[in-house]
Amino acid sequence: MKKKNEILSNIYSILIPIIIALFVGGIIIAAIGENPFLTYQIMIQKSLFSVKGILKTLHFASPLILTGLAIAITFKANIFNMGVEGAAVLGGFFAGVVGFSIKGINPVLHIMLCLLTGMIVGMVFTLIPAVLKAYFKVNEMVVTLMLNYVVVEVVKYLAQGVFKDPASGYVATYAINDSAMFNKILNSDLTMFFFLALIVFAILYVIFKKSKLGFEITAIGKNPEFSEATGMKVAKKIIFIMLISGAVSGLAGAGYLMSEKYRFTLDFSGSPGLGWDGMLIALLGNHNPIGVLIAAVFYAALKTGSEYIGLFTNVPKDIVGVIQGILILCLSVRFVKQNSGLFDKLTGIFKPGSRKTKSNEC
Amino acid sequence: MNLTNNILYDMIYHSTPILLAVLGGLFAHKANVLNIGLEGMMLMGAFSSALAVMITGSLWIGLLISVLLTLILGWIFALLSVKFKSNFIITGFGINLFVTALSAFVLKYLKIANINVSSTVSVSDLKIHIPIIKDIPIIGSLLSGHTAITYTAFLLIIVVSIVLYDTKFGVYVRVVGENEEAAKSVGINVNAIKYAAVLIGAALCALAGMELSVERLALFTNGMTAGRGFIAIAAIYCGRGEPLKCSLYAILFGLAKSLAINLALFAGPVSGLFEMVPYLTIVVVLLVVSVIQNRNNNLRGFKLE
Repeated sequence: MKKKNEILSNIYSILIPIIIALFVGGIIIAAIGENPFLTYQIMIQKSLFSVKGILKTLHFASPLILTGLAIAITFKANIFNMGVEGAAVLGGFFAGVVGFSIKGINPVLHIMLCLLTGMIVGMVFTLIPAVLKAYFKVNEMVVTLMLNYVVVEVVKYLAQGVFKDPASGYVATYAINDSAMFNKILNSDLTMFFFLALIVFAILYVIFKKSKLGFEITAIGKNPEFSEATGMKVAKKIIFIMLISGAVSGLAGAGYLMSEKYRFTLDFSGSPGLGWDGMLIALLGNHNPIGVLIAAVFYAALKTGSEYIGLFTNVPKDIVGVIQGILILCLSVRFVKQNSGLFDKLTGIFKPGSRKTKSNEC
Repeated sequence: MNLTNNILYDMIYHSTPILLAVLGGLFAHKANVLNIGLEGMMLMGAFSSALAVMITGSLWIGLLISVLLTLILGWIFALLSVKFKSNFIITGFGINLFVTALSAFVLKYLKIANINVSSTVSVSDLKIHIPIIKDIPIIGSLLSGHTAITYTAFLLIIVVSIVLYDTKFGVYVRVVGENEEAAKSVGINVNAIKYAAVLIGAALCALAGMELSVERLALFTNGMTAGRGFIAIAAIYCGRGEPLKCSLYAILFGLAKSLAINLALFAGPVSGLFEMVPYLTIVVVLLVVSVIQNRNNNLRGFKLE
């Protein structure tokens, strides 16, 4: 009974913010003179109600699942690793470098090499804030944010200088070789990367729920001093958790480059960025692997749908970003706690029998 | 030397927005609320002041509207984190993302790439040149030729110190931060003090934003603040919430940025890398400060914060 209440409370806590965010977004759309219902209808129709749309949504969800998982792992341990964005960009960049530098080897080997490069780069990048936090007690949030900006500058410099493709008009590196690209399946946008993301998801699900490390993550999140007192080497665990997160983020960036972008440009990460989308997805999914999966697909549907609203209405694409911001704001508050009166009222809808017993008790 | 003059002048120029955000965020830090939304509020200040000046054509109305809108934003942040007890780090990030998206949305809707108000506002007119001081070689570049908000910011260091340590309101803020239960038991309205702390931060960030966009450049582009709000948060951490120390860190970061910009001219092709010097400086300063603060700490346990 208590578990059912907990799940219901979780679902309500997520549904209500979504409804509020869509409502406020609708007001903004109406304020600029467009029809909000039409906009939302287009967004959902194009992304979920057509075969091509669903495949495109799943394709776009692949890197988001990975960044969402990367953030969820660290947030569950109360470590605010904001460096997922930087790790993804850096991992994608260096995977691209390996992609176009090496020619003429077996495609499977090449893809593995690129993905491995992305993961290693992500791990090295996340090692810096991890060590600073574990051994020097520096607040990881500010360090990772600053390192994100550093990554932007470094990558900009490298893409404009050493690795620039002279044939292209704007700032871009060489395109990766054919042997490094993920092939598209069945004439749609889907690639093997989606299934790779699902495999990583399955591995992380097992780690979260069934292994000792998952338990330790939750323990460190809830009470790190107690965890240290029971003998867990919290410092080492923090570094390990951050390394996993960095590897997964690097993988996300690398896979995104190899399945969608094929070359590194200055707007590689999109707006607002793979890492920040991942943060919203981790929040929506309540830092739970299955929740992250569902949230990633939902968010990818929003983003895919937003590509089409420019064709039918005058609403700019950035309305999705506005809805995203409002969603994060509403999600930061746990609206419907388990013991509050609102929760009882909401669950009362499903349990007509209990209303009679309540009035009897009075 | 002209280079030294430029470096000193730019140092004051670049540290002003950070300084204003630091002074505003101080109150929230002392009241234990930790206003992470400083970046979003600064961007909102920059965006709304540029928009307001473009629409109305008057600087004062722009200032007023920008402070008003940023106060509303601060009020939302305070509502969510104080009244509804949300996780303020996530709320702060929500505000940052919301303002970034909103400004991009409005710019796209108006079909312009950036808000350019240089027809209404003349940047060089706003600079105040003090007649005698400006000719003194080094101090002249430090002190003269800045805009009104810059001078206000430096005066505010003294004002904030006085308010925080010598007035009743300042004492209340500090008590709420150090021991909330004790404050409640004496009858202080803890929520009202926390709201006030956040709102002061919001107002000062609005000033910072206006300085950044309208006063110095007469321009607004997407993502103009480039992490200055987070730099302010780092400065507040390093200085532990004391006005004078935090301001020194803010000026230090301004110096890093000014060195990066001025020395980049000599570096040639590597100049792009100089942009990351300020951010790396902050990481190094955070590390050094943390090591110094924890060197006497012999606790065996692990504190996550």
